[in-house]
Amino acid sequence: MTAAPQPERIAPPLAQPGDDAAWAARLAARDPDALREMIARHGRPLHRVAYRMTGDAHEAEDIVQEAMLRLWDHAPAIAAKHPTGSAAAAQLRLGGWLQRVVTNLAIDRLRRARRLAGGEMPDDEDDAPLADALIEAGERDNLARALVLALPERQRAAIVLTYYEELPNAEAAEAMDMNIKAFESLLHRARAALRQALAAQGDAP
Amino acid sequence: MSVNEQGTGGPIDRGSPLARVLDGYAAPDLPAGFADRVLAAAETRPCGSASPLPELRRPARVGMRGWRMGRRIAIGVASFGVLATAAAATGLLQQIALPLPSAQSVWASIAGTAAAETTPRVAAAASVPAAESTALPVVIEGPIDTPEELGEAFRRVEQVRAGRREERRAQIDQRIKNEIERRRAAGLSVPTPEEEARFRARVEQEIARREQRADQQVAARREAMQRKVENGEAVTREDLAGPPPVDPALREKVRELRQMTPAERREVWRSLSVDERRALTEAVRARRGLPAPPASAASPQSELQPEPRPEPSPAG
Repeated sequence: MTAAPQPERIAPPLAQPGDDAAWAARLAARDPDALREMIARHGRPLHRVAYRMTGDAHEAEDIVQEAMLRLWDHAPAIAAKHPTGSAAAAQLRLGGWLQRVVTNLAIDRLRRARRLAGGEMPDDEDDAPLADALIEAGERDNLARALVLALPERQRAAIVLTYYEELPNAEAAEAMDMNIKAFESLLHRARAALRQALAAQGDAP
Repeated sequence: MSVNEQGTGGPIDRGSPLARVLDGYAAPDLPAGFADRVLAAAETRPCGSASPLPELRRPARVGMRGWRMGRRIAIGVASFGVLATAAAATGLLQQIALPLPSAQSVWASIAGTAAAETTPRVAAAASVPAAESTALPVVIEGPIDTPEELGEAFRRVEQVRAGRREERRAQIDQRIKNEIERRRAAGLSVPTPEEEARFRARVEQEIARREQRADQQVAARREAMQRKVENGEAVTREDLAGPPPVDPALREKVRELRQMTPAERREVWRSLSVDERRALTEAVRARRGLPAPPASAASPQSELQPEPRPEPSPAG
């Protein structure tokens, strides 16, 4: 078996407090270079989240594009609420805002797909082992993808945000608009489901 | 996977078998030209018109659950209602920064002690016409042991309750506005005016239901007090203001639970230890003045729910 590729965990450039407010002001002024910079800063981590949520690169691309366009559309309102130099400006985190929008969009798309598929995807935790055919396909990346994509969407988001993106629980809870305790409970169940699914494949040493 | 990891939801250690598997799920990079495409799309966006915000992450399910914000606020309303039924909230409302008179000051105004502190600070209470309070000048001296004094005590309590109701409604209104603003800022969907009107009607309905329940409890307690006075006994502070508040830590726990959605509450409830569950159950039971139930009785979750739902028991 070939060595598994390491997941990308590239932290976005550190921003000074209030830095995002300045970017929001430039976006509000319809500066295309500011939008390009936002894509350069946040595009990759957002795409990773969207991809690992949906399992589809094109879908992930659409989601990130939609999130960026929403940032563009809402920049005037965001800039008005966080004027440069104000106390509110220091609190503004466009990365967190985008993370939340992408998570929402991904979950919405997954739910829409589930509705269109006639509810075949599980809404609640599925205790049954993953589909044998999918798992027995063999390779580690396929197994990882299958494990993650078999989780209910909210559990999946919790794993993607905390394990792959290494967000602290508080930030991940915020991205999912959840109470921290409820998020931790969700994360606990997600991890347990992953372990159970992996154990069901007989992969345990 | 280690034996200890199996079946648990603990953190996934780097280097563990599960982590090694998960690390295989690599994400592709964004394609070249992605930024150009986004910029081109941005240029064609109608200027000044924000695109629709993302749909609710947890949309309402037919016949099951309402709007999440609605649940939160309804639970908030419920918590206010339940707190108020303790007649007086005995200091509780002060802790959440509501400028309302404490039970002590209400009692002091009734019993005639500490006259300097008897003026309720709430605007609504202060706005009661002075003529009304001077029309029937009943002086309460010493313990309340005559029907006139009891009537006067009830009248003063009603003033305070009216002020609290008004303040509560104003705060709920503000919370709705804040929530909508928060959702707008977060890029989440916001209700249309029609949806907001429907939601407010539901909240109003919930408030009315809670107030009706509170009124019934107050009426029952007042009947008991009237009987007491008729029998020549004096009314005590506890008769008017209700039982003393529960332990602050437990009260905070209950408040946290109430602020969650039912699903979140169930998750937290499952994570509590048996002792914690028992303590919460007893706290709620004590506040409601209920006797100890049989072992199979319902958990405090039943009170924490805004309305009965056909959902599994949180303890199950």
